[in-house]
Amino acid sequence: MDHLSAKSAINNKPFEFTGKGGEFFAIWIVNVALTILTLGIYSAWAKVRTHQYFYGNTLLDGVSFRYTANPVQILKGRLIAFAVFMAYYVSSTMSPVIAGGALIILMLLVPAFLVMSMSFRLRNSEYRNVRFNFDKSFKTAYKVFAIPVIVVGAYIFILGLLEHGMATNPEGQAFFPIAILVLVLAMALMFPWWEYMITHFKVVHAKYGSSDFTFSASTKNYYGLYLKMYGLMILVFGLIGLSVALLISLMNSGSGSEGMKAIMPLFIALLVFPAYLWIFAYLQVKRTNLLYNNLHLNDNKVKSELKTGYMFYLYITNTLAIMLSLGLLMPWAKVRTARYRASVTSVDVAGDLGQFTAMQAEKQSALGEEMGEMFDMDLGF
Amino acid sequence: MIKGCYFNGETSEKKDVSLYYTDEGHIAFVETNMDYVHYSELKISSRIGNTPRYINFPDGSQFETDDNDAVDKMVKALSNDSFQGLVHKLENAKAFVFFTIATVVIFGWLFIQYGIPFFSKEIANILPEEASQYMGNGVLEIMDKSWFNKSELSLQRQNELRKLFNQLLNNIEGGENYSIEFRLGGKIQANAFALPNGVIVFTDELINLAEDDLEVAAIMLHEIGHLKNHHSLRSTIQQFSLAMFVMLVSGDVSTSSSVITAIPVMLVESGFSQGMETEADDYSFEYMKSNNINPNNFAIMMAKLEASFLPEYHECLENKKALSCIKEAVALNKTKKNHANVMNYFSTHPSSQDRMERFKSTQEK
Repeated sequence: MDHLSAKSAINNKPFEFTGKGGEFFAIWIVNVALTILTLGIYSAWAKVRTHQYFYGNTLLDGVSFRYTANPVQILKGRLIAFAVFMAYYVSSTMSPVIAGGALIILMLLVPAFLVMSMSFRLRNSEYRNVRFNFDKSFKTAYKVFAIPVIVVGAYIFILGLLEHGMATNPEGQAFFPIAILVLVLAMALMFPWWEYMITHFKVVHAKYGSSDFTFSASTKNYYGLYLKMYGLMILVFGLIGLSVALLISLMNSGSGSEGMKAIMPLFIALLVFPAYLWIFAYLQVKRTNLLYNNLHLNDNKVKSELKTGYMFYLYITNTLAIMLSLGLLMPWAKVRTARYRASVTSVDVAGDLGQFTAMQAEKQSALGEEMGEMFDMDLGF
Repeated sequence: MIKGCYFNGETSEKKDVSLYYTDEGHIAFVETNMDYVHYSELKISSRIGNTPRYINFPDGSQFETDDNDAVDKMVKALSNDSFQGLVHKLENAKAFVFFTIATVVIFGWLFIQYGIPFFSKEIANILPEEASQYMGNGVLEIMDKSWFNKSELSLQRQNELRKLFNQLLNNIEGGENYSIEFRLGGKIQANAFALPNGVIVFTDELINLAEDDLEVAAIMLHEIGHLKNHHSLRSTIQQFSLAMFVMLVSGDVSTSSSVITAIPVMLVESGFSQGMETEADDYSFEYMKSNNINPNNFAIMMAKLEASFLPEYHECLENKKALSCIKEAVALNKTKKNHANVMNYFSTHPSSQDRMERFKSTQEK
């Protein structure tokens, strides 16, 4: 193959999702039934089948992705995670001291979980019979996590000292809300930087075969995204707060009836819920776009054009459909979301996709991924 | 012949190929000069919906095809393993899918409605008394710090009530582990709590509502009912099991699912909690009946407790005594329309109306 001429030709290859709601429903319902009947044991197989369905239906250049995790390994991880989770749950109800200690230990393990989970997920993902990969750089993971943990930890410690000194002093108590406000603001300001660090960490340690992914976004991009989101949040919830306050004052002035008071919580929920979903959709869309549009593999570049409006429409219709169907439309919701995501994602391919070489892979422990899942962290890639 | 593509496993290069097989199980491709491989050496992925199938060769190469039916045909012709693709058959049988929906709904419901409460009850009964003790330690200190103030009841009144409490305990097995505390409720208002370590806390505001000590006794018995049934421990176990159940069932569906699962979880948890309140009511009722205490005392107290949350009651308190205020408040509360409220399903307690009715009506029988 003529390498030079191949390199100069860039063609855009779109992702395609070929899954169908009805088909996935059958898979999902069998998964749920077997999971219940086996008291949870089957959940590991269910997870693998679900992943395999979504990977297998995701095509790039006509070739599918493949999920290769071993359910038995996942089951082992789940059992250990279950034991840890239970120990934590029980200890947290027994004594705040034990719970605090357990929480600190778990927190210390989070970066390790993140690495193991990324590694497990990527090493079990294949495309064109070539595995993805993740460098297990625990050291860097701890560095990435250390700074925010130290900053917040130090702040909480100081806050604790202050509270101790102020408990007897009424003037000090007025200072307390200010201190909390400062903490929240500091976190809000630190968060974009931190998210950049974690995303960068995940991307640059990921590999396809022996090729490294690279990440071209900067902290500036993340600050831009989050500052816009904070602005949106203040605007939306400010407006809601204002209209609710207005309504309450109207009601108190006597023109409101008993019935109106009764529907007040419902009314507020109807305002807050879409607002929440909109901001959620905005954040998801912008983060995903920012991540994928800055993702490179050699000279190939990913493109993602998710739109907040459409994502919001998907979320709100999904939520309503799932609620009204008592959960039965969950598979349908998942499939249409995946279809939309794939339809706006593509790769600018330099040359062709046949030029990557594989790397030898080793066995992985499922523990990290399962622990992460149990404690509900966002480990998705 | 099965059309598909071939990947050698060393690079991502794609070759379009056609796979063919003989009746003896020899497999090869039309387009390459690879040696025959025997069927038994292959790893064939199981069928999942209509996703592509993968056939792996011993040398690490892989054949990918979307012609599922052709692969199934080959497997059927060459393999004697009848369990092949069992799960896919389940998924593909229309009648079976309806059957599984029924299974999920029925077993899911049975599990949540009866399984979780049953198991948590059994586990709570097996666990040593110390488990509850641990849970309660430190709770009162935290409550004191954040809500309560020192009781303003006279020592004499407190002693009277303690005596009453001890009298009630005389007939109760394990009663020596229980004790009673009084606190000024403040924001908590009229209320009573049973802490898992056997301490029952009454607020002054609740005590002040009672005209007759037997009304306080009815509430004491309700709280003792919570303790006797290990309710704190049970609700901890229940919440944990429910969280696990939700995680397993909805596990892989993450799209805004936290919003979606939050409401059912709240409903189920308040259902559990209402069940426990009813159990504690039962305990109080049975005790009163077998010890010749008029169960109506409980109904009276419930009516007062409900009325004590009216703003009118608190306005009245500014110039009058609690007892006369609460009478007015109860009367006022009765005139208010009792429209069924959707929010009842989210409440941790059954509606006071229903609870009062039980104590009134059963008493008449």
